[in-house]
Amino acid sequence: MNLGPPTSSPERTSRWRWLWILPRLAFVLFVGGVGLLLWMSDQADREEKRATLTSDILWLEQNLRFHLARNEELLGRIDLAHTASAKAFESFARTLFGSESGLRQLIWLDAEGQVQRAHPATMDPGVAGEIMDTPPSRQSFRLARSLGKPVYSSAYPFFTNDWQFEVHVPVSREGRVVGVAVGIYRIREILGDSVPWWLAERYRISILGDTGKVLGTRSKIESAVTEEGYQVAFDPPGWGLTIHAVPYHAPRPLASILLSASLVILAMIVLWSLWLLRRHVQRRQVVEEQLRQEHAFRKAMEDSLDTGMRARSLDGEIIYVNPAFCRMVGWSAAELIGRRLPMPYWADDYLDETRAMHDRVLAGEGPEEGFELKFKHRNGNLIDVLIHEAPLIDARGRQFGWMGSMVDITERKQAEERARQQQDRLQSTARLVAMGEMASSIAHELNQPLAAISSYCTGAANLLRNQTPATEVLPALDKAVEQARRAGQVIRRIYSLARPGESHFEKVHLAERVNAALALMDSEIRQTGIRIALDLSPQAVVDGDPVLLEQALFNLLRNAIESMRDTAPEQRQLAIALTCAEGYASLTIADHGCGIETGVAGQLFDPLFTTKSEGLGMGLAICRSVVENHRGRLSFEASPEGGTLFHVLLPLAPK
Amino acid sequence: MSGPTTHIVDDDPAVRDALQWLLKSRSVQSQNWGSAEDFLTFAGSGLCGCLLLDVRMPGMSGIELFDRLRALNCRLPVIFLTGHGDVPMAVQALKDGAFDFIEKPYDDNALVDKVLAALEHDVKRCAREDSILSVQRKLEQLTQREQEVMHQILAGKLNKVIADELGIAMRTVEVHRSHIFEKMQVRSAVELSQILGLLGNKPGAED
Repeated sequence: MNLGPPTSSPERTSRWRWLWILPRLAFVLFVGGVGLLLWMSDQADREEKRATLTSDILWLEQNLRFHLARNEELLGRIDLAHTASAKAFESFARTLFGSESGLRQLIWLDAEGQVQRAHPATMDPGVAGEIMDTPPSRQSFRLARSLGKPVYSSAYPFFTNDWQFEVHVPVSREGRVVGVAVGIYRIREILGDSVPWWLAERYRISILGDTGKVLGTRSKIESAVTEEGYQVAFDPPGWGLTIHAVPYHAPRPLASILLSASLVILAMIVLWSLWLLRRHVQRRQVVEEQLRQEHAFRKAMEDSLDTGMRARSLDGEIIYVNPAFCRMVGWSAAELIGRRLPMPYWADDYLDETRAMHDRVLAGEGPEEGFELKFKHRNGNLIDVLIHEAPLIDARGRQFGWMGSMVDITERKQAEERARQQQDRLQSTARLVAMGEMASSIAHELNQPLAAISSYCTGAANLLRNQTPATEVLPALDKAVEQARRAGQVIRRIYSLARPGESHFEKVHLAERVNAALALMDSEIRQTGIRIALDLSPQAVVDGDPVLLEQALFNLLRNAIESMRDTAPEQRQLAIALTCAEGYASLTIADHGCGIETGVAGQLFDPLFTTKSEGLGMGLAICRSVVENHRGRLSFEASPEGGTLFHVLLPLAPK
Repeated sequence: MSGPTTHIVDDDPAVRDALQWLLKSRSVQSQNWGSAEDFLTFAGSGLCGCLLLDVRMPGMSGIELFDRLRALNCRLPVIFLTGHGDVPMAVQALKDGAFDFIEKPYDDNALVDKVLAALEHDVKRCAREDSILSVQRKLEQLTQREQEVMHQILAGKLNKVIADELGIAMRTVEVHRSHIFEKMQVRSAVELSQILGLLGNKPGAED
């Protein structure tokens, strides 16, 4: 419950702001790093592909060149035996074609350039004539014959969609060119023969003419070419042919895609969770701020209160006090919090009472309307406090202690006490003044005849001393007697005031009178919390004045109640017993009050004798007078249980 | 006017009667009054004797009567009869000029002694009051002119000076002077000044 002061908010927010930069920075770095990594791996991939492509194409070119060179050599080996007969030529040609050489036609030209033999020999003369017009190329023939070295012709179209070129290999015998073997390559055939399948899988390989026109292509799919390929000169033909390879757009490996995708997804998740976290923190901050304000508000409220607040845990330990409470009892909050029984501010003289109330409250049986206690200030002064206790409930609805609010009512109590004493004094003064007035008037009434008697007698004495005749003195004496009688009448009148005659005696049920007298004191009885034990016999009926008897009973009961003013509340008990025996009704009133000191017992029934500060001293005198007027007896004795027993004995009415 | 009489004012007839009896036993003449109001109708400045006054009475109280008498310039000595509670009141009356007070119940002969003392005191007062009265009566007999001349004489002036100041003949002044002495029953100017001294600062003329 001890909530410390909240840290200053600007400092906090600036630190928070700084903290927020870190995850953002980390996130940007992370995304950048991942992107760079991906890009670098992609670059490396490309480089590798390019290197592979280069080496593949170079290898292909080497391979082709090797084939061409081998074919040149084979062609150069042709001799007369081969050309002698068509059959021999054909078998030679077949050996040549069979070894994936790319050759599709073999022609034997004599030294003059005339076609001697040709295989395949499928060419009909018509077509052959056409062929003869162009291939074998005269120019290449002449060049080959003159140079004595194999010469390649340029590529030319063959039918509509194929191209071919020729190689002219001069054949010499004894230093003389005897003929030229012409091998015709068909570009499509070359590609088909010499490009292995695994290469064709990866690349579209084409052979381009010197103008960049595609002369032949080996490809599976026509459309899948996207990137630029690699080009290498196809040198041996020497006519500007190039081999062009374009890698197929191979699908990127699934793992890499998955990796990239998962990286992106991860980054997004991180971003999202960061955003969520930030929103959560922001919400928390708002709530925290509200809480801090609420706390400051409540603290200000508590500090400004004049009412003391004190919270205790369920086992009675102090867990919170507000400044007003500290001021009230003079102990600081640090000294009070954590304290257990007995509390330092409990008043020593009221320890039991305070402890009992403490236990009641902790048991949940504290009075809802609040209760008054006396506390002790640190400087020893007693203070009266009015306390209200309420259960402390936590956020889960469970009670974890008691909150008590206390109001210092010392001054109010003192003022009440002063007012009560003042009232008592006023009443007693008024009664005394009235009594004095009455006494003074009685004294005057009596003084007059006494003064007259005295004067007559003195006068008579004076006269007698002067030897005046007795007859002259006599009237004065007569008058003195008359005045003495008058004084006696005054006294009788006073008596008759105090003791009404028996004329209006009637049957009086004493039990009823006791109840009526108690009813008159009902509020006082309830206020003082006196318990009354009644044992009243209905047979007690006496002859008497009901009003006077009730007055006498009232006086006795009031004395009994007032005597218990200083008795502990639980011992305030009044027992009233009414019995009948041997012609008398016997009423016993037993209190547990302060009792009667032996020194004053003798004076107890004297008029004007009193032990009460505001008493007149008439109560018991009237009681005795009334009881005796009813031929009864009033007596008292000390009770063995403490307090006093008053006995009233009244003769029962004759049946 | 009348002789020294003790006036008893008390509301109780028995007490009145007894007091009268008591005083009579010591040869003191007395007169009874049943209330302060009754006495007030009778009282005047020329009374001699004394007044026994009960403090507590129905109607006008003793103290009140005392104050009224002072206002009427009745200087009769007053003895208050007080009950127990009235002593402070009586003491105050004493300061205001009452002769004495006696508290009930009283010693009767002591009361009579006080009455006698008051009567004796009053005799002197009455005598002085009587002579003042006679001087006043004599002054009243003087004529206007005689009074004027008397004032000049009292101022100690010679007949000649008086004649000059009043614008009359010296012979006339001498005649007036002899008339004044005759009427005032004195033989010299010194004697005249003495009897007028009784009046204090209250001579007949308005000077």
